[in-house]
Amino acid sequence: MKLGHKTFSKLITIFACTLTLVFSVSAVAQSGTFRARLSPMPTTPQTVTTITGEGEVILTLEGNTLTVRGNFAGMNSAATMAHVHNGPPAQPGPVVHQLEITKMPAGEISAVLELTDEQVSALNNNALYIQVHSETNPPGELRGWVFARN
Amino acid sequence: MKIINKNTARALLASALVLLLAACGGESTAPAASDASVTFNSQAETGADAFASNCAACHGANLEGTTLGPILSGNSFVQRWGTQTPALLLNNIQANMPPGGNDGISDEDYTNIVAHILSSNGVDAVTEALTASTDFEIADNISQVVARRSRPEPEPPQGVTVAGTIENFTPVTDAMLENPDPADWPMHRRNYYGHSYSPLSQINTDNVGGMTLEWVWNMYEGDSEPAPLVYDGIMYLINPGNVIQALDAATGELIWENWAGPANRQDMRNIAIYNDKIIQATTDARLVALDARTGEQVWETEVADSSKGFSNSSGPIVADGKVILGLAGCARYIPEDCYISAHDANTGELEWRFNTIAKANGPGGDTWGELPDLFRAGGETWITGSYDPDLKLTYWGTAQQKPWVPVSRHLTINDVGLFTNSTVAVSTDTGELDWFFQHVPAEALDLDEVFERILVNRGDDKLVFSLGKYGILWKNDRVSGEFQAYKETVFQNAFTDIDDETGLVTYREDIQNAKLNEWTSACPSSAGGKDWHSMTYHPPTGTMIAPLSQTCLENAAREVALVQGGGGLAASRKFFEMPGTDGNLGKIGAYNVDTMDEVWSYQQRASFHTGTMSTGGNLVFVGDLDRRFKAFDVTTGEIVWETRLGTSVQGHPVSFAVDGKQYIAVTAALGGTSPRAVPGVILTEIKYPRSGNAVYVFALPD
Repeated sequence: MKLGHKTFSKLITIFACTLTLVFSVSAVAQSGTFRARLSPMPTTPQTVTTITGEGEVILTLEGNTLTVRGNFAGMNSAATMAHVHNGPPAQPGPVVHQLEITKMPAGEISAVLELTDEQVSALNNNALYIQVHSETNPPGELRGWVFARN
Repeated sequence: MKIINKNTARALLASALVLLLAACGGESTAPAASDASVTFNSQAETGADAFASNCAACHGANLEGTTLGPILSGNSFVQRWGTQTPALLLNNIQANMPPGGNDGISDEDYTNIVAHILSSNGVDAVTEALTASTDFEIADNISQVVARRSRPEPEPPQGVTVAGTIENFTPVTDAMLENPDPADWPMHRRNYYGHSYSPLSQINTDNVGGMTLEWVWNMYEGDSEPAPLVYDGIMYLINPGNVIQALDAATGELIWENWAGPANRQDMRNIAIYNDKIIQATTDARLVALDARTGEQVWETEVADSSKGFSNSSGPIVADGKVILGLAGCARYIPEDCYISAHDANTGELEWRFNTIAKANGPGGDTWGELPDLFRAGGETWITGSYDPDLKLTYWGTAQQKPWVPVSRHLTINDVGLFTNSTVAVSTDTGELDWFFQHVPAEALDLDEVFERILVNRGDDKLVFSLGKYGILWKNDRVSGEFQAYKETVFQNAFTDIDDETGLVTYREDIQNAKLNEWTSACPSSAGGKDWHSMTYHPPTGTMIAPLSQTCLENAAREVALVQGGGGLAASRKFFEMPGTDGNLGKIGAYNVDTMDEVWSYQQRASFHTGTMSTGGNLVFVGDLDRRFKAFDVTTGEIVWETRLGTSVQGHPVSFAVDGKQYIAVTAALGGTSPRAVPGVILTEIKYPRSGNAVYVFALPD
């Protein structure tokens, strides 16, 4: 089928737009500031006094390097571990990175991580979260999904 | 509808038979009664510790109840469980409690907890250890109750307790209800269309900043989510415990008071006025008509048998001369139906019933798999419907199937369970179903679509809007029921697809296939993206303004035996903040009803606990858990007035006028289920008094 001038022009425009979009998304994906609000893991009236605390983590992406800096306070017991997990909002998923954390009920979280391209994509799709474990809550006491910082 | 082949059906039948035999005592999971060292008293003693560990956080160390769980002692317990057996109590607790999960609680623990509850309530005529099949009637073994039955005791107040007369009362006609006087708020959402909108504009965006408290009236304590009625300068106020008061709406002076009973601490959201009567539903599923002038009872009728668990938490709407009422407490496996009923407004005589659960041999009967009628549960109508006088149709939302998760109810995600979680349009003449639209078939997370139906006319389009716990604003044609459009008002991840053409939802695969005791994480939680707090339609701007809530849950189904008298809800739940909300539970969202676009939204940490109410002054009012009552500009969403009340602001704001002066009224109140309990475990920093039910009335200074 022979393409008419208008049709051809439209295709060129669509192609150009697509390229621009792909380039733009890729560019945005490789840098930015993100934030996770840490709040108690799923709780009930039975556990509300033993799963406690809050915190904030700021994450800065440059290329595939993610710098993580944060703090937390008010946990029921000393922190033991902190991880970055891969899972869409409100859906738990596997650990993908380990973080440094103060082994106290309050303290700091930090790390400099090299993300894979898939993990960068997950970061941009709100599909990474941070989880803090503690002595009295080994499965986790604080958790927060990572979103682009406004 | 899933087709079940014969082999599958036989297997299901065999499984059901095994479960039935086990539940009927074929096998006991309780401690061996033959162990002579185990007695009722020893079980009760051991059960005290198990209760303290697993139950006291919600029900109180002494079974006194808290804001998170009901009282389990005294008259409240005897009224609810006195005619039941320990086996049924055990069955109920095992299926439903504790709500956060029952890991580590053995069958023996559960039996001991039941013994502790019974012992604490005075069961003293028992020596033998309880088992899973102990079937004595509980009250018969409480010597105090037996003795009380044989001697007269002071009764709680009943009937008119404060006498007075409203002079020059003008009876309320159908025409008045179809087109209310701007000064009145004569039904739960003010008009038949359910708009929660007052055309009064004396108080407006320019002057609301000067609004001050005019009067306040303390109400009886207990669970309370009320909507006052105001007609011709009189406020009719439903209190906890089925108490109605008539107050001078301008001054707060009490004119009369009536106790219809039972005298409990339970909630009733609204009442109705028609002709010369105030008509109330009671918490024990009766309808009572009072003389609006004096509060004297005119007639009374039973809606359903409360001893079988039926109840009401919302009152009636009077449409076309009929008192139309829903029903709650339909989660048990009993032969009785769940229905909407209509009664003659002058006599209370039953005119028709519409069953919300399809029977096996009736329309929609094949949507419940192979379940016998006895085990088809749910479909409550616990929020009052609306009415189109031209179409002579009343519109109601129905609750979901029970138990909450398909696997617990011995069904699959394909067994959609008509007519649950639907909008039903029912003829007010005959009670026949005109059309239905099932918003969420085979509901699987305790997220029902039962709330108010708001009727809107846009050009020639006659529409009905609803917004359920999934936080999805639905727009349907109210003549045909046809799906028009939807809008997600809060984050939800339960559905992977909502069909733009049909509105058909597709659950996430793990929710579709959830197994017993398997945790599923989803948003929103059972507190609802929206719950009973009604939204308002603001006709001048074509805007729907909704009070929303942002939490999520983890949910795990429990096993429920198919045994008569059993049933229940049967899931363990845990709650957490909704990702992406920065911990803001409360949201007010304004939506253009033509485009369904969000016009503005406002978010805050405290959850909202009133309906929204809009006015001709371009204001929308709403109250929250943190005791704040606020007014927003309908157009911009800007907060233009705010005050703080004695306790959490809960109920339905209204506006009215007396002698040309406009008033804004709202209740501060306590109690409630998921919308209170879920914020209760997340907003632990928000403190408010555990008493303080009251109605507050505001106005501009004279």
